[in-house]
Amino acid sequence: MGVVSRSVGNAFRNKVRSGAVVVILAVAIGLALAMLVANQAVGAKVDSLKSSVGNTITVNPAGSRGGLGGGNPLTAQQLEQAQAVAHVTSATGVLTVRLGNTDTTGSSAAGTGTGGAEGGAAQPGRGGPGFGTSGTTSLVSAVAPGSIGQRNNSNGSTGTAPNASAPPSFSIPIQATGVATSATAAGSAINITGGAGLNDFAAASTQALVGSTLAEKNSLKVGSTFTVQDRTMTVKGLFDAGDAFENNGIYLPLAATQSLMDQAGQLSSFSVQVDSIDNVTTTQTALTTALGADKVDVTAGSTNLESAISSLGTVQNISLIAFIASLGTAGLIVLLIMIMVVRERRREIGVLKAIGASNRTIGVQFVLEAMVLVVLGTVVGAVVATFASSPIANALVSGNTSSGTTAAGPAGGPGGLGGGGGFSRTRGAFAGAEQLIGTISTSIGWQTLVLGGIGVLAIAAIGALIPALLTAKVRPIEVLRGE
Amino acid sequence: MLTVKDVVKSFNTGDNTIKPVNGVSFSVEQGTFAAILGKSGSGKSTLLSLLGALDKATSGDVVVDDVNISRLPDRKLTAYRRDDIGFVFQAYNLIPNLSAQENVMLPMEFAGVPHATRSARAAELLNQVGLTEEMHARKANRLSGGMQQRVAIARALANSPKLILADEPTGNLDEETGELIIELLRRLAHEKKTTILVVTHDRALAAQTDRRFRLARGRLTED
Repeated sequence: MGVVSRSVGNAFRNKVRSGAVVVILAVAIGLALAMLVANQAVGAKVDSLKSSVGNTITVNPAGSRGGLGGGNPLTAQQLEQAQAVAHVTSATGVLTVRLGNTDTTGSSAAGTGTGGAEGGAAQPGRGGPGFGTSGTTSLVSAVAPGSIGQRNNSNGSTGTAPNASAPPSFSIPIQATGVATSATAAGSAINITGGAGLNDFAAASTQALVGSTLAEKNSLKVGSTFTVQDRTMTVKGLFDAGDAFENNGIYLPLAATQSLMDQAGQLSSFSVQVDSIDNVTTTQTALTTALGADKVDVTAGSTNLESAISSLGTVQNISLIAFIASLGTAGLIVLLIMIMVVRERRREIGVLKAIGASNRTIGVQFVLEAMVLVVLGTVVGAVVATFASSPIANALVSGNTSSGTTAAGPAGGPGGLGGGGGFSRTRGAFAGAEQLIGTISTSIGWQTLVLGGIGVLAIAAIGALIPALLTAKVRPIEVLRGE
Repeated sequence: MLTVKDVVKSFNTGDNTIKPVNGVSFSVEQGTFAAILGKSGSGKSTLLSLLGALDKATSGDVVVDDVNISRLPDRKLTAYRRDDIGFVFQAYNLIPNLSAQENVMLPMEFAGVPHATRSARAAELLNQVGLTEEMHARKANRLSGGMQQRVAIARALANSPKLILADEPTGNLDEETGELIIELLRRLAHEKKTTILVVTHDRALAAQTDRRFRLARGRLTED
């Protein structure tokens, strides 16, 4: 029999007490592990939410968001100012314009008798048949306006169209984005599904990328041609942006777009890359200061995202504190039990010393005895944590996000900004912090295992080392006590 | 050879100082079977604890084979107890949840003897003290008093010590078993040349030893 088997045997010398200790330890360790798993899961969710937005900040002209206009176009000079702000790794500008179909725009103007007076080619900032287009193209939109589009379009012309009871048909404008690199307005790479990306970014360039649904609608292939304003463009490649609306667009070289639309030096928005997610907020503030709050709107993520991350941060803190507290409780249980055991066995320790055991040998024996209890408690606790971690994590999250959702709800409440499908979507987004978080799925990764292992070792250390040191103070003369 | 020179052990109890061992001196040759007699509370067990390095003397020297154990540091005292001393206690002091054989193996484990060797030697020693094979695996707390004392003697012999100190080894035994234990100790002293010092107030036991000392009021005299 060696010290290990002797320690295991000693751990079960009093089976009832050891069983009770293991059960109590299992609850404490199980709770600690569940909290650790919840902490890791929430941390992963926060990272996921942050990475969903990434390090990108968007700069728009002040008041222009929402598609209703406002503010003045951004300039190349402002882009240079943005690039000079601290933590900014890159900043690219795009010019986004709406193109109306040459034929549809012309017939609509004739049908209404109002659009024609303003010129079918350009009706910026207006509703009505032109739907705020700033140029023309030979392309036919692949997206039908539907009832939402009809309603939004009719809102803008109410009281001006003579036959308001039967709004005239119109075509959804095609969005043309002028880019200086092969990247989207959000800064991500364009997903080319056919042909190649843009490589001629000169003002006279005739290259274009066409969205997949738009290309299909107009029977375009790589090498096909179409017109933008009076220039014949050639399809350099096809792209897939992931949804039908985005795929109803084209990418053009930035300089060519500015030239075609007669908007030299103007930009619709900047996409700014920040060196770290942690610096996004400070860079957002710095950009606003540098460019002027009255001239630009600088946005990063969403209010809901911040709310969600804030809520999850609270949950993370709670779970971390609960993890440490549970571990501390488990350590205290082991400590008290082992102190009791050492006091009970003073005479036995004296016997061991009298027959030649060193302090170290006896200390190791008691440490191993505590380890047996901790390991058993951990095994049972791990089973408890397996079943408890997911419900605990979700209960913590739902308990800490309900107030945030309630607070966010009224800000975009019904009627606050008037009717329209677009605004109801905004309200839904504000109410969606909880939806944004969704369900927290727990899993045991290597970090959890490492942290759990360190935690359990800490329990064993706290619980066993002090009693083990106490055994060193027991004198061998104890063996003769009571004789 | 064991030599004790003017050993004093004193305790402070409030305002008083008690000296259960007060200037004790004696020496015994290797292989001697000796007894220290005295009434209860005469300081017999205190003297035994000093000889066995369980406690330190207030003054004086205890010399075992030219090594003064009174001046040894704690680490060397542990080695001394392990290698040179065997204890037999009145209350046996076996580890209750270990078997008879495992109890005998303990001192050898502390001395670093390989498992197979110590297992074989433990079995041999248990046979030597008259414990049958079927009792070797029995837990210590399931053995009779006489059997436990035999196991305790076997444990004391495990590392072949030079000196065995027995504190009233027959105090908890009936007369017949006590006789067997005394005979066993006497035989060990004479055959193995192990010095055996028995502390007792049992005159029958003392009568069978080679030398007899009497402890009274902290002073030792030889009969």
